[in-house]
Amino acid sequence: MILALLVTTLGFATLIFVQEAASPPLVYGAYYAGTLFMLYLGVRLFLPHSDVLLLPIVTLLTGLGLVMIFRLTYNVEGAQKLALTQAVWILIGSGAMFLLVLFFRNYDRIFDYKYLLAIAAVFLIASTFTPLGYSVNGARLWVDLGPVNFQPSEFARIALVVFFAGYLAEKRDVMAATSRSFLGVQLPAIKYFGPVALVWAASLGLLVFEKDLGSSLLFFAVPLLMLYAATGRTAYVLLGGILFTLGSFVTFLLFEHVQLRVQSWLDPWRDPDGTGFQILQSIFNIADGGLLGTGLGAGFAQTIPEVETDFVFSAIASELGLLGATAVLLAFLAFTYRGTKIALLAEDDASKLLAYGLTAMFALQTLIIVGGVTKAIPLTGITLPFVSYGGSSVVGNFILTGLLLLVSERAGRREAEGLVYRDDPWGSP
Amino acid sequence: MNAHLRRTFYLFVAGFVGLVVMLVYWQVYSREALANNPENGFQTQRSVSSPRGLILAGDGETVLAKSVKRGTATGPVYDRTYPLGEPFASVVGYWSTRYGATGIEISNNTDLSSIAGEPETLDDLINRATGGPQPGNNVVLTLDPGLQELAYQEISASSTGRGAVVALNPETGEILAMATSPSFDPSDIDENYPDLANAPNAPLVDRATQSLYPPGSVFKVITAAAALEAGVSPQQTFFDSGTYELPGYTVNNFEGKDYGEVTFTRALAYSINVIFAKIAVNIVGGEAITQMAINFGFGDPYDDFPLPVSGSSVNSLPPEQWTTGTLAQTAFGQGEVQTNAFEMALVAGAVANDGELMEPRIVREVRSPDGIILDNPTPSVRRQALPQSTASTLNEMMQEVVIQGGFTEAQIEGMKVAGKTGTAESGNGLPHSWWITFAPADDPKIAMCVMIENGGRADRGAMPLAARLMKAYLEDGV
Repeated sequence: MILALLVTTLGFATLIFVQEAASPPLVYGAYYAGTLFMLYLGVRLFLPHSDVLLLPIVTLLTGLGLVMIFRLTYNVEGAQKLALTQAVWILIGSGAMFLLVLFFRNYDRIFDYKYLLAIAAVFLIASTFTPLGYSVNGARLWVDLGPVNFQPSEFARIALVVFFAGYLAEKRDVMAATSRSFLGVQLPAIKYFGPVALVWAASLGLLVFEKDLGSSLLFFAVPLLMLYAATGRTAYVLLGGILFTLGSFVTFLLFEHVQLRVQSWLDPWRDPDGTGFQILQSIFNIADGGLLGTGLGAGFAQTIPEVETDFVFSAIASELGLLGATAVLLAFLAFTYRGTKIALLAEDDASKLLAYGLTAMFALQTLIIVGGVTKAIPLTGITLPFVSYGGSSVVGNFILTGLLLLVSERAGRREAEGLVYRDDPWGSP
Repeated sequence: MNAHLRRTFYLFVAGFVGLVVMLVYWQVYSREALANNPENGFQTQRSVSSPRGLILAGDGETVLAKSVKRGTATGPVYDRTYPLGEPFASVVGYWSTRYGATGIEISNNTDLSSIAGEPETLDDLINRATGGPQPGNNVVLTLDPGLQELAYQEISASSTGRGAVVALNPETGEILAMATSPSFDPSDIDENYPDLANAPNAPLVDRATQSLYPPGSVFKVITAAAALEAGVSPQQTFFDSGTYELPGYTVNNFEGKDYGEVTFTRALAYSINVIFAKIAVNIVGGEAITQMAINFGFGDPYDDFPLPVSGSSVNSLPPEQWTTGTLAQTAFGQGEVQTNAFEMALVAGAVANDGELMEPRIVREVRSPDGIILDNPTPSVRRQALPQSTASTLNEMMQEVVIQGGFTEAQIEGMKVAGKTGTAESGNGLPHSWWITFAPADDPKIAMCVMIENGGRADRGAMPLAARLMKAYLEDGV
């Protein structure tokens, strides 16, 4: 924890020194460090048996995000305050997480409201089609609520994971049972699959029409993974794969912006100053970093449009190099590892699926955006959890971490009280 | 269920490993190719986002090139400007993100650039380690700013406006002036380059170092040196009948004169082609002349000189394959002999400096931004062109050129001046006007070569021009 704060402070110190930048008021830095430290202590106090590593990783990632956002925007007209705004969002996220920890220790009660949550999620996503919603860069993902604007999909997906976890835990046995087969593939009973498919389709459809490709991909893949985890049936994965191929093909044909994305992924050189500009600038910056990076402040990551949100990883790779970028990926992997471990240790199915779903969402989101900016897969605009600039994303991820901590607390307490004795969960099955 | 969780976790791990592989691909494997991609402007951007060092004239104060800060939306950039413009352009060069770089700007780029090269001082090392602002080092040239400016004005005001002046200190090899005309303003190179590159009078070409011309009679200094080495004495007499018939070639004197019986000294003073041809054919021979030319630097591309130099040449064929006609023509600097003001100034300098040809130098020192001297090359002898006794004999003969030749234009009050004229047939328009000179002849402070393209007779073009520059340098200190 202290190490994570030190790294952040060092990063800021380097930046201020190097760029001769006016220091952001130190008092804000103190607020940030103080808040996260208090949050850490609070969580240790209220959830003494919860996972010890998650919060330090979150601190490290948000701190790194602050450093990068500050570095990328402090001298950009109209955006100098972005790092401060992000810090405020981190405070709000911490607050939300603390409240969660304080009042939702019996978190499994939320599974009783899973249908309500699912409907709320769909409405949240749909809210961008109301007059309050508006578009940024062609994607209609924003809702203007007077003083704050937010991206409802960031919260809707957590609600959906809760729904899927609760529903699948309840129905997983019947869904795993084979009722009929078609062309040798065993199909699940439509009856039980119905609600899942309905929520799934509703949220997906809405997202596709909002042109939010990144979230669509997440909304598609996370329930699929949860379904697989719950039932162990590869049939679902196969079915999902077929649906995915089909769906991708249809969206490719239907939507021009999808065609553009794929085209600029396959051949960005065709239009290097137009559609391929962003991804090429990203690649140039990543390559510019080399093994050790250019050093904080010495790169040209500001040439990438949207660098402080979706492309923040390119800036990290450019200025911290292969070593730094790999270290950051390792931090994300460590979070994924702890999340998976929490799921493995969780006692009941719903908790297991909840922890797993949240972890899978976190890991997939990282893979999708980092894969996108490194041109490993077509680019779909989503944020890098905790690091990218974005209030909804930060608060959403804090809530996600809070839920993981709650799940881990329960398993940890049982273990500590000696109620259960279990083998190493990582041992062979 | 745990088995499924584990399985998908391994999938995620594979995904992360895949991302690292992707990073390795971009950051290690294809890094070089991407950095050099024409769509990638980072290298240029990096080069303009930090200040280059100053280029200063020999007084250590006159600024010839500097980087001027200009704020832009993406941070400060530095524009390269050249306060004194045209007179220094051929030496200083230009630094363009679009058209590359020339002159000292490129030859000393590792000194001037803040990002190229190894750190040289502790401050530099600390700056680099912390990524702080890194101004480049300053390069101090040997050029005398007043003489250089005057030389450029004189040559551009000459009859054709095309030509070159090279002046050096014979004892140290430091170049005091190296001017060429026409020239260009390097500050505006980005806008004007296409026009300059296509202009018929080739303003981008440095006539002092890069062009080659027939030297005509200034080459007789080299023939005379070879003759003295072959045993000819200055008082030895020769007979000039006005023409010299050789198989397939007839030598004539300049303006068809004939001088009768003259000493070798007078033959040089009057620049008598017939006698030089006879001495070359009957006494010295092609190999000795070629060897003497090589001693003076012919055939040497001066690769270690910061600016590109076109090597001078005597003939494309080895001497043993020459006809006597070729040998005769070579003796008075016609035929295939090709050289430039840079080389001929070095010839004058070597005679003036007791036969020692000093290493030509145009960079006096390299200083860190806070004034620490990083590189300060000392004068060194490049070659002993000819023995000291021969050099002093030749020195006296070249003084007689001014006295016996009656070139009052070349004389400087109260000072011995040595020199040699050249009026070289160019095959196209008026002859090129040459004059090599040094003074004071008994203790030379400056050696100079002036060449005016199609400038006509030496004593009407190059010689008075050179005398004005010499006077300005020696009497007024410019």
